[in-house]
Amino acid sequence: MSEYLPFVVIGLFTGAVYALAAAGLVLTYKTSGVFNFGHGAIGMFAAYVFYHLNTAWGWGTIPSMAVALLLFGPLMGVLLDRVLFRSLAGAGLATYVVASLGLLVFLQGLAVVWKGGNTYRINPFFPTNTFKVPGVSGVFVTVEQALVVGIAVLAGVALTAFFRVTTLGLRTRAVVNDRDLTSLVGVSPNVVTTLSWALGCFFASLSAILFVPSLGLDSVLLTLLVLTALGAAAAGRLTSIPVTMATAFAIGVGQSLLVKAIGTRPSLAGLPTSLPFVVLFVILFFAKKTTFALPARAQERIAKATALRGGRSHRSRFPAGQLLVLSAVAVLLPATVSGYRLSTATTAVGMVLVFSSLSLLLGLSRQVSLCHAMFVSFGATNLSLLLHAHVPFLPALILAALLVVPLGAIVAIPSIRLSGLFLALATFGFGKLAQDVLYPTALAFGSDSLASIPRPAAFRGPAAFYYLVLAIAIAGVVVVEVLKASRLGRTLRALADSPTAVESLGISPWASRVIVFCVSAFLAGLAGGLLGTLVQSINPNSFDFFLSLLWVTVLVVAGASTLGGSVLAAILLVVVPAVLTSRAVTEWQPVAFGLAAMAFAQLPNGIMTMVRMPDWSAAWQRVSWKAAHQQRARERHAVTAPVRAT
Amino acid sequence: MGSPMLALENIHAGYGRFEVLHGVDLRVPPGKTVALLGANGAGKTTLLKAAAGLVPTTAGQITLDGVRVERIPPQKRARRGLMLIPEGRGIFRDLTVRENLAMFAGRRSVSEAIERAVAAFPVLDGRLGQRAGSLSGGQQQMVAVSRALIADARVILADELSVGLAPVVVDEIFEAVNVLRAEGRSLVIVEQYVDRVLDVADYVYVLHKGRVALVGEPEQCRRDAVFDQYIGAATHS
Ligand SMILES: Nc1ncnc2c1ncn2[C@@H]1O[C@H](COP(=O)(O)OP(=O)(O)OP(=O)(O)O)[C@@H](O)[C@H]1O
Ligand SMILES: [Mg+2]
Repeated sequence: MSEYLPFVVIGLFTGAVYALAAAGLVLTYKTSGVFNFGHGAIGMFAAYVFYHLNTAWGWGTIPSMAVALLLFGPLMGVLLDRVLFRSLAGAGLATYVVASLGLLVFLQGLAVVWKGGNTYRINPFFPTNTFKVPGVSGVFVTVEQALVVGIAVLAGVALTAFFRVTTLGLRTRAVVNDRDLTSLVGVSPNVVTTLSWALGCFFASLSAILFVPSLGLDSVLLTLLVLTALGAAAAGRLTSIPVTMATAFAIGVGQSLLVKAIGTRPSLAGLPTSLPFVVLFVILFFAKKTTFALPARAQERIAKATALRGGRSHRSRFPAGQLLVLSAVAVLLPATVSGYRLSTATTAVGMVLVFSSLSLLLGLSRQVSLCHAMFVSFGATNLSLLLHAHVPFLPALILAALLVVPLGAIVAIPSIRLSGLFLALATFGFGKLAQDVLYPTALAFGSDSLASIPRPAAFRGPAAFYYLVLAIAIAGVVVVEVLKASRLGRTLRALADSPTAVESLGISPWASRVIVFCVSAFLAGLAGGLLGTLVQSINPNSFDFFLSLLWVTVLVVAGASTLGGSVLAAILLVVVPAVLTSRAVTEWQPVAFGLAAMAFAQLPNGIMTMVRMPDWSAAWQRVSWKAAHQQRARERHAVTAPVRAT
Repeated sequence: MGSPMLALENIHAGYGRFEVLHGVDLRVPPGKTVALLGANGAGKTTLLKAAAGLVPTTAGQITLDGVRVERIPPQKRARRGLMLIPEGRGIFRDLTVRENLAMFAGRRSVSEAIERAVAAFPVLDGRLGQRAGSLSGGQQQMVAVSRALIADARVILADELSVGLAPVVVDEIFEAVNVLRAEGRSLVIVEQYVDRVLDVADYVYVLHKGRVALVGEPEQCRRDAVFDQYIGAATHS
């Protein structure tokens, strides 16, 4: 037993860091209704600011820390609230998720541009000498560990006291309870919200900076601190700060004990880091639907804003003209390009399929999937396994994609019945969980971390393979576009605007969302098989979890609702850096995508909103009286947006 | 009428593209009480919300004691002395009664706020520590109305204070309304018990489909047959 005690001490230390991060996350969510996926990234950037002041400018530890914690953190909070999130007020959930993901990608990219992608060591701020815990034999605690745990406990007590005792705390709770009434009694809810953003970002910065001496200054790991805070925040139902902080401590200790228990068995090495997600899933799985319903006020605001926008048209036409023109261009492409350019084109076409499958969720039903890279990766590894079992290539490709579907269902089914935010959270967590726990197993890459995918003889030539990818991508895109124009598509679009209205029509929103999620996973798996076959061997980092986040931002920037957006997204992501090969382009690309995602989060269809596509079907109508006649008939029977009654 | 305490002129407002109010005029002279009547969906709540700043106006002017306020946010209108007691229960359900009163106190001290509320509604005395959402409907409304008694609002807009309450409780609420009148506050009252509100009102406005259909004094309204048509006999208590 006593050999576990030192691990409890280590666990309490990491738990303290998680607790601070999670407290800030819950604080901002409670008061503003925004779940900030960029919370960890803000803390990460504060740590970089600290590092820069401390090393490049030679400031002392205390002034550097003061600036990073007391100036940068809170200022960031104020800016985010005033400039970004307030302008989105009342926008749908997906918009908030995308904007905060944009923030994450932006800050992470900026940190890499600024300091490079290396991990820097930082000297401990606090004395590292140890002392014995009185009364417990054999347990030594460093001063740093004791202080950090003390800070977290103190912060928890201080926050609780702040809410119970101070006027500002009371006002914050009043805003959480009823925003309109707060303004009616003469208190500005905006000021209260801004202050809680400042406080929340202070906590983000504090947790990251306290963690840096033991974790190292690493832009990815620190950004992912938000992931670890997720399980704890979910346990506190995203509202209770004491429960959240207590769970965070428990997760920290649990992780540390798991490390000890697992010892050196490599196959289970990913388990400790995944504990927060296991907690998240257990909570999501057993949660009652009402537990995680959005606050009534937030729902009301969203409904109001939807009414303000006047509702979207719920119809969508099959883009036959666009598809024809784009396919014709793609078919002629190998006549003009070859070599690495052709392989870039092949990647781009494969990515069109990825983006198209993602647009089914993001653009159509406004569901945010943050584990698309996982679907793609499994599409490739499944194919590898099937090919090595001597299944012929084309059946193997289809089967590999089909096998991705149950995986999608596992993530989607428990979370789709909750609010849209939880699908985003669950996929966010699951993507990382899969990479840490599933990838090293024989189900994916196995212990040698490699999946080889031999190309079939018939498609060995680059042009032949290009045409194979093109044919399958076109078929996939047709499926997506037919779905969008179908009755199911209309239902999903109406559902995204007003879940209650559709529920009252007797259509199960749950079933239609699960169906579309599974179709999307299948198509992503198909694309994964093709992209894997292109490069012929992939590793666990080829389709890194982080890519999922980047893809979402890229697609939203390009336009998530239409085929043109998916094509533009592939061009922006794949073709641009291949043509402009300067290092600056590749480095600044995520920064630009992140920034653009924040700016364009509210546009209904990203850049494509501003591009007027030639109206092919109108042209077609002019030449075809019959088509025009059918069109008019369709319009007469069109489902119009249901108007909300009071 | 002299210069009004609150004047709404040509108010257009609604929800998004859906306009509810199509040019409403309403004047509340200092110290007077206006009864605002109309069928369900006529736009009464929308008009009060537009006056308080919760629903943006697309055209028209709102003047509070000679100062134009239609461009300023709700909290600033509140600080200038305009109070809306909203439809439903105008309380913070998750806060205790004491905390609610503290939020309502404004410039007054919390103990003074509690004193005033308890003086008007003695039942609240034993329930200061209780979560407001767990009070009975009548007690909740008492907390909401005590907001008007605590603060020095010059204009009070009250939306359906008596809805869903037992007659005895309604009596108590209307007693508080009379106190407010005696203190010289200006009131706009939306109420389903038409006879009751006509007893306390100086002027009556009838809204119909987002327009003012009738303006008059209570006695006129009681006699006028057109009036009944607009309100619907069913709403008489
Ligand atoms: N949040 C909202 N979004 C869209 N329309 C709304 C909203 N609130 C009210 N409406 C509409 O505005 C119109 C006027 O509503 P309002 O609540 O002002 O009526 P009212 O006179 O107060 O009715 P009642 O006597 O039922 O309280 C109604 O047609 C209603 O459907
Ligand atoms: Mg009303």
